[in-house]
Amino acid sequence: MSDPLLKVAGLSAGYGDMAVLRDIKLEIARGEIVALVGSNGAGKTTLLRALSRLIPSTGQINFTGRALDELTPDEVFALRLVQVPEGRQLFDQMSVEENLLMGGYRRPDSAAVAADLQRAYELFPRLKERRRQLAGSLSGGEQQMCAIARGLMAAPELLMVDEMSLGLAPVIVDLLLDTLVAIRKEGVTVLLVEQDVFSAFYVADRGYVMESGSIVRVGPAKELAEDPEVKRAYLGI
Amino acid sequence: MQLLWQILVNGVLLGGLYALMALGLVLVWGVLNIVNLAHGALIMLGAYVCYYFFTGLGWDPFAALPVAMSLLFCLGYLIQRWVLNLVIRAPMFNSLLVTFGLEVVITYLAQLLFSADFRTVNPSYAGANFSFFGATVPWVRVLAFGVALALTFALWLFLDHTRIGRAIRATAQNLVAARLYGVNPRQLYALTFGIGAALAGAAGALYGVVSQINPYIGAGLTGKSFAIAIIGGLEKSLYVLVGGLFLGVVEALTALYIGPTYTDVVSFGILVLVLIVRPTGLLGRTA
Repeated sequence: MSDPLLKVAGLSAGYGDMAVLRDIKLEIARGEIVALVGSNGAGKTTLLRALSRLIPSTGQINFTGRALDELTPDEVFALRLVQVPEGRQLFDQMSVEENLLMGGYRRPDSAAVAADLQRAYELFPRLKERRRQLAGSLSGGEQQMCAIARGLMAAPELLMVDEMSLGLAPVIVDLLLDTLVAIRKEGVTVLLVEQDVFSAFYVADRGYVMESGSIVRVGPAKELAEDPEVKRAYLGI
Repeated sequence: MQLLWQILVNGVLLGGLYALMALGLVLVWGVLNIVNLAHGALIMLGAYVCYYFFTGLGWDPFAALPVAMSLLFCLGYLIQRWVLNLVIRAPMFNSLLVTFGLEVVITYLAQLLFSADFRTVNPSYAGANFSFFGATVPWVRVLAFGVALALTFALWLFLDHTRIGRAIRATAQNLVAARLYGVNPRQLYALTFGIGAALAGAAGALYGVVSQINPYIGAGLTGKSFAIAIIGGLEKSLYVLVGGLFLGVVEALTALYIGPTYTDVVSFGILVLVLIVRPTGLLGRTA
């Protein structure tokens, strides 16, 4: 990991006077799938919000060698650090296709956007069937597909997927995890933020475990999945 | 019966213009969540731009319309960029107060610059008319109606079929997601407010052709635009058009059967009634 894609050091953030994150250190190399796990309220989403610059933070964030501290969310997005937010946050009153096109909003090359749209439909044939339908009328699983596809339309270097599995049937979660593995093969690095420790470690190369605002464990995903302490805390075994 | 037909035709023609007036207010309200109380004042400015190009430079009022739109776009962009963006995160009441202040300032500056006299834009063809199934229809009104419809259609095309238009709608629907997907809200808001002001400018230019103007017409026109926004909702240009036509016809009928002084009483009576019975709007949803 001589030249990490994302390098976070000494990051602290919170809302107003309330500190949520303390001294976060995290590195992601190109082409990795990294899982960030932790229980509800551990600060995972807050970390993503800080990385996307939706909230201010102190400490270092380096992405492709550039400091993100002073940037606005749209500038971070332009660097291709793309977030698929918790709860999908689709544009409910727009069609599936329009949602996907919004993912390519900042890309000047319309031919490449059109090609990526076809690619997204290949990955998710269901979305192609429903491309004229309003995103708000989709089922939960289809909405999550739409959210991930919208993220891919931004041609991300690093795709951060927040709570992808929440409220979805296991068969859908498996399908989405397979998709993440597939897009990693095409060169997209993935940060998977999950409460569902088991699915996250199943596809990830490495994992970070977060507890009340701090990183408490780091390691290869297979090792963390076998770690008795992690098992006890998150799997109840 | 003949009179009723004439009144209905008048109402529809006026209603098209009302719809254009409301369109800018609705756009800004829907996307920025700002009820722009200075909207009528911007319409008034558009009317004066047209007036001065007509009397000063001898331009045809319809040729002056794009000028009014361009100038008002710039003014709107600046107002949003340097004034309203400062209060955009504050509660809606703050922006309401700021736009109220703007309305007062613009109106009094207009009085200072343009004087309080009534002005009219009377092109040579102002008196020309034709008969439409027995109703007398002035050509300028038809032309104004046509331009209003064309601009409504153009806005719909822009919002539904362009990249920027899509971003404007996306921002209205989900601000957080729009920011995460590369929208710079401050820029987009300024652009949207500019477009709203340009539409006000166009409506003003047309208003000057069909009616008298003075610096104080703004407040009443804001009120009418607001009533149409409540009737038509904030979501579809088509509903705004329907709301505008509805208000135009209701006002014309009121003038005929109750008396011209009661038009505002009836239209705002309807507004209050809609707010009580269906606070979410009659056709579409308001905020």
